[in-house]
Amino acid sequence: MKSASLRRLVASIWPPVLVLIAAMLLLELYVRWANTPIYLVPRPSKVVNTLVEEREYLVAALWSTTKAALVGFAASTVFGMAIAIVLASSVWVRRAFSPYTVFFQTVPIIAIAPMLSIWFAPGLKAVAACAFIVSVFPVIANTLAGLIATDPALVDLFRLYGAGRGATMFKLRFPASLPSVFTGLRVAAGLTVIGTVVAEFLVGELGEAQGLGVVIVSASHNGHSDRVFAAVLLASALGLAMLGTVNLVGRLVLANWYAPARD
Amino acid sequence: MINQAWTRCGLGLLLALQLASSGCKKDKAAPAAGSGGSASTAKSLSLTLDWVPEPEFGGFYAARESGAFGKHGLDVDIKPRGQGETWKLVAQGVTDFATTAADQVLVAREQGADVVAIFAVYQTSPQAIMVHKARGFTKIDDVFTNPGTLEAEDVSWLKFLRTKFPGSAVKLTSNSPGIATFLAKSDLSKQCFVTSEPLQALAGGSDPQTFLIADAGYNPYTTVVIARGEMVRKEPETIKQMVLALREGWRVYLDDPSATNAVMGKLNREMDASTFTDAARVQHDLIDTAETKKTALGEMTNERWQTLAKQLVDLAVIKAAPPPAECFISLDRLR
Amino acid sequence: MPTPGSSVTLRGVRQVFPGGVVAVESMDLDVAAGEFLAILGPSGSGKSTLLRIIAGLDRPTAGDVTVQRPDAGRFDIAYVFQDAHLLPWRTVLSNAALPLELQGVDRARRREIATEALVKVGLGDALGRYPAQLSGGMRMRVSLARAMVTSPTLLLLDEPFAALDEITRQLLDEQLRELWLSRGMTVVFVTHSTSEAVFLAERTVVLSKRPARIISDRPVDLPAKRIGELRATADFARETRHVYDALERGEA
Repeated sequence: MKSASLRRLVASIWPPVLVLIAAMLLLELYVRWANTPIYLVPRPSKVVNTLVEEREYLVAALWSTTKAALVGFAASTVFGMAIAIVLASSVWVRRAFSPYTVFFQTVPIIAIAPMLSIWFAPGLKAVAACAFIVSVFPVIANTLAGLIATDPALVDLFRLYGAGRGATMFKLRFPASLPSVFTGLRVAAGLTVIGTVVAEFLVGELGEAQGLGVVIVSASHNGHSDRVFAAVLLASALGLAMLGTVNLVGRLVLANWYAPARD
Repeated sequence: MINQAWTRCGLGLLLALQLASSGCKKDKAAPAAGSGGSASTAKSLSLTLDWVPEPEFGGFYAARESGAFGKHGLDVDIKPRGQGETWKLVAQGVTDFATTAADQVLVAREQGADVVAIFAVYQTSPQAIMVHKARGFTKIDDVFTNPGTLEAEDVSWLKFLRTKFPGSAVKLTSNSPGIATFLAKSDLSKQCFVTSEPLQALAGGSDPQTFLIADAGYNPYTTVVIARGEMVRKEPETIKQMVLALREGWRVYLDDPSATNAVMGKLNREMDASTFTDAARVQHDLIDTAETKKTALGEMTNERWQTLAKQLVDLAVIKAAPPPAECFISLDRLR
Repeated sequence: MPTPGSSVTLRGVRQVFPGGVVAVESMDLDVAAGEFLAILGPSGSGKSTLLRIIAGLDRPTAGDVTVQRPDAGRFDIAYVFQDAHLLPWRTVLSNAALPLELQGVDRARRREIATEALVKVGLGDALGRYPAQLSGGMRMRVSLARAMVTSPTLLLLDEPFAALDEITRQLLDEQLRELWLSRGMTVVFVTHSTSEAVFLAERTVVLSKRPARIISDRPVDLPAKRIGELRATADFARETRHVYDALERGEA
């Protein structure tokens, strides 16, 4: 059984890796042939070179961004679910407040970043706050949809046995909404990374604790596009890792929901 | 699979952000038929500014409004707020001219972008750090030796100061948009142009005090007009007319900025009329100095370019110092 | 000790849905304590509506519903739906124990009662499994066990076995009848199937199509002990014939 799941894992990894290598080779050939200026698009070979040579510097920045992204994502998860639960408890509350949750989705970070760096100190806290704002809406929306769509027969059953609102919410609606919650978390994972990097452009810390966003801005200013793209690749890798983790946790939590897969 | 969709999405978004900030290759601005000097067919050119219309760019608008461009056979389209690094736009031919700082010219040239400076607005860089007067600082060193926060971009002048004042106690963060954070926090210092943020802070009821970076020993020419090296070689007459027109425009603006300020004020609602006036006054002596009175407005010297190049090499911003003749032109060399 | 049953009295019950559709038209019905009643009728005839009104899940537009409660504090109504409607994140045992959990019974006691009920329906060795791992018939049995754990005095079932195959259906019919015989609660069983109604019930009520009226209300004239072989007898055929005729009249 272990070798079967290992084979499955390998089978799911090598196709995208192959695509990545092929894409990089194609890009390398194109850039060389078209002689694109290096300050616009760096040679993939140079980007890989930079990743290796400057790994300490880049990984330190990656770690900084990761910390902020994780804090922001954790906040989105917790507060997103909590807000959805509050909205789901009352039709009036839902009607009155859910239009405003879209505000989280649409507010441009550049407008609120200064305010956030005043309320929370600039650096990790303000950046995480931005990441939270950017990523919380899908958590709210998906969790809420799941909570509202609970099987009415089960709601009837709970009512029949005299269950109060609290019991119905936490023993029925919330567990029943978990598949939707994970859909929301998947979307939020990618958004968190984007939000973190953009926030770092504006209110990130400089110096040793700087994140990938600061690396991108500084390197761009000095025309070091190879470093820019190396940082972008690392940010993408972070996004992938977070998404993968959400998927994994989702699979574990919902393991018993679905009929066992055929081998 | 969702994984791949998100790789593409995330990579694509960040790539788009980067490309947008540097400008993709577009059609080059078509030069009008007929050489400069022929009044009937004025040459269409574009000038991209690296910020919004402010007294920093007063002479450009004055050159347009007073007819200086037209007199020299030029029809210049002024585009404020170039995104990101304007030298990339010039090198790629997206715009004919742009403004940037002298140190950026050196960075650009090392990256293979053939851009050349033709006119320098500020002889003395208006780059400064503003602090709260209540803190009682007397020199720029105090910013670094005292606790607090400094909002600044991680660029050459910051590197210069950090090398000059090592082991600093101050916390460095990115330069947040606007002056809201400066107004709100009494221990915050912030990068600025003396013509802009401190005046806005004053208008906001705050107590700004400024220290010029130039006084600390780092003084690149600022708000430098750059052009493609190819254009300098192939169309020297156009470049010459442009420089002459810019000199006239800036002379008009320095003598009486009020008319031009009114024009810029319509384009930039964020700055009120009195701030425009104050800024124009503050910058006067940074633009028209003892040297320019002897030579001409916008003129640059080999020595200052050499000094700057050496400073940048020492700061490891560039690897090698190029000969100044490659970085800028002066009219006598152009003939 | 068999649980005593509740009696159910409907007087002038009328149900109008928003939009003016009259589902039930002024219905009177008496269900005696401990009786096994089957209700039949065409699709959409208001059978489910009636059952929900008796359960207290919906309030009628007009009329009275009285369910006599031998013990004032207890919720002695249980309801079985057409789908098992189990909670997929809970084990079979936990699902069966749910009603007791909602009523605040402590953990050890409710597990004991639930285990007993599950054993009774033949799922004694599936306690730790999850609904996704069970067949349709097994899930319905869990639903039945869940209905039993509170020792209800009134058991309402809404076409519970309709989605199952014939063999499983007949097995569960027999099991249900066993439960009724051993416990003695009142059962109201809504079904489409005439043979099922006749096999299970002591009395059948046939409703017309909307707005529902009672077309036929007669006892089932068959021995108390109902075994599988009964379905092949002439008496059985006669009883189903009566019910079927009433259904036809109701459709007209």
